[in-house]
Amino acid sequence: MAETPAPVPLPNPLIVPLGDHGLLVRFAATLSDEANRAAITFARRLGERMPEGVTEIDPNLVSVLLKYDPAAIGFERLAGEVRLLLGRAGGAVGGKPKRHRIAARFGGAEGPDLADVARQLGMRPADFIAAHNARPLRVLTTGFAPGFVYCGFHALSVPRRTTVRPVVPPGTILFAAGQTAITATPLPTGWSVIGRTEFCNFDPAIDPPTVLREGDEIVFKAVK
Amino acid sequence: MTTLRILRAGPLTTLQDAGRPGHLRHGISAAGPMDRAAFRRTGAWLGGAGATAIEFTTAGLGLRVEGGAVGCALDGGQFTLRRNGETLAWPARLHLEDGDVVDIAPGPAGNYGYLRLGREIDVPLVLGSRATSLVSRLGGLEGRELRAGDVLHLGDAVAPLPALHPRATPAGAGPVRVLWGLHADLFEAGVRRRFIEETFLVSPRIDRMGARLEDQAGVFAGAQILSLVSDAVVPGDIQILGDGTPIVLMRDHQPTGGYPRIATVIDADLDRMAQLRPGAHVRFAPVTLAEAHAALRGGAAP
Repeated sequence: MAETPAPVPLPNPLIVPLGDHGLLVRFAATLSDEANRAAITFARRLGERMPEGVTEIDPNLVSVLLKYDPAAIGFERLAGEVRLLLGRAGGAVGGKPKRHRIAARFGGAEGPDLADVARQLGMRPADFIAAHNARPLRVLTTGFAPGFVYCGFHALSVPRRTTVRPVVPPGTILFAAGQTAITATPLPTGWSVIGRTEFCNFDPAIDPPTVLREGDEIVFKAVK
Repeated sequence: MTTLRILRAGPLTTLQDAGRPGHLRHGISAAGPMDRAAFRRTGAWLGGAGATAIEFTTAGLGLRVEGGAVGCALDGGQFTLRRNGETLAWPARLHLEDGDVVDIAPGPAGNYGYLRLGREIDVPLVLGSRATSLVSRLGGLEGRELRAGDVLHLGDAVAPLPALHPRATPAGAGPVRVLWGLHADLFEAGVRRRFIEETFLVSPRIDRMGARLEDQAGVFAGAQILSLVSDAVVPGDIQILGDGTPIVLMRDHQPTGGYPRIATVIDADLDRMAQLRPGAHVRFAPVTLAEAHAALRGGAAP
């Protein structure tokens, strides 16, 4: 592994039970670049040396959930192992992150909220698309639904919509709160719908069923 | 080939095996039986059971065995069971012959029951499991609920094992035990106190994703907690919607959520929670993590 041997300093997390089979390592109570990077790094570190009794590691926006078997390890012992791992090296993003180029159609019938988003930002739609696609985004986490990824961060931000669309198709590109999300299954959403891609980050016939990993980079390319 | 023809199936009738854990990081919750203990009892009683059961609800189930014979066991809640029109005791272990018709109607208690067979139900494994996740539209039969007209193909007989006769542990009428949740501290002390003092009602809006509660005492009326970062959800989490409605999240929970969660039902009490019918009163009692783990080892409700 092309990692630096020195420990990567991680923000001091909250370590709390989540139910009686879960231990949550939460790096912040609000979403920040630092907390998201810490969650990604720590999840990778855990993946390199999974503590005994841990059955599953689930990285989230600002936290990592460890599911454990209480018959195999107690919470306090696991919390102790987590604290040890927090101070150690490993999991650092070595070299370049994996980059995925995603072709997408913005606006039109597949991106009905594009004009409204641009208007809220005082931009022309074409300028918004250019700004949106200008630089790589980080996959912050997968969650909420199968293969659903949150990508960030944008300097541009609009709030969620006040109404919920009952269903949008897989491949829908959503924008809200300084992030872009891509759906992989039919979903309801309160985010602005700005486009569509043929890329689908979920195939249950393949294990693992998703392609994108937290920490990967996404570059959107606008196509007709 | 032996098949089961579904004659009648209420909403939320699904195929379930022990579940599909390990895929939260891909956005998939584990699904699996709403009453895991009842599901396990059917397998133990049958001795050599297929890994997959039909999970049915108070909306009932009717089916006919075609093309062969098969053993089965039924348990979970208290349902009214008929074979070819003859009423049988609940729970039950039966040998079904070609042409037998099984009819299940609601009985005095419970929301979910299980029909487990001495053969595997021949649906594809999806990510290592046959459990239906309705929220993810995965597993089971085409990722959906069973409905009248469906035909389930059965595999070879499962090698017999010594059959046990497990009795359901008494469900217990005491409060449902909880651990304080991820966001408990965001609720005022008075709200937390009333959460464990007041009684909630199970609403008619219950499904595999969660059980909505009615908060008639208004414990959460006016409790305003906004814009939480989305974080991991586990079965049993009690989240409070923006309008103050509490929901106990169940087996088909979304893997992450942004609503505040005041508490989490302990694993040992989650089957009981799942079986509480609409209109049932429910109270919550906080326990320590050590008590929650001890309850798992004891296996008994309070």
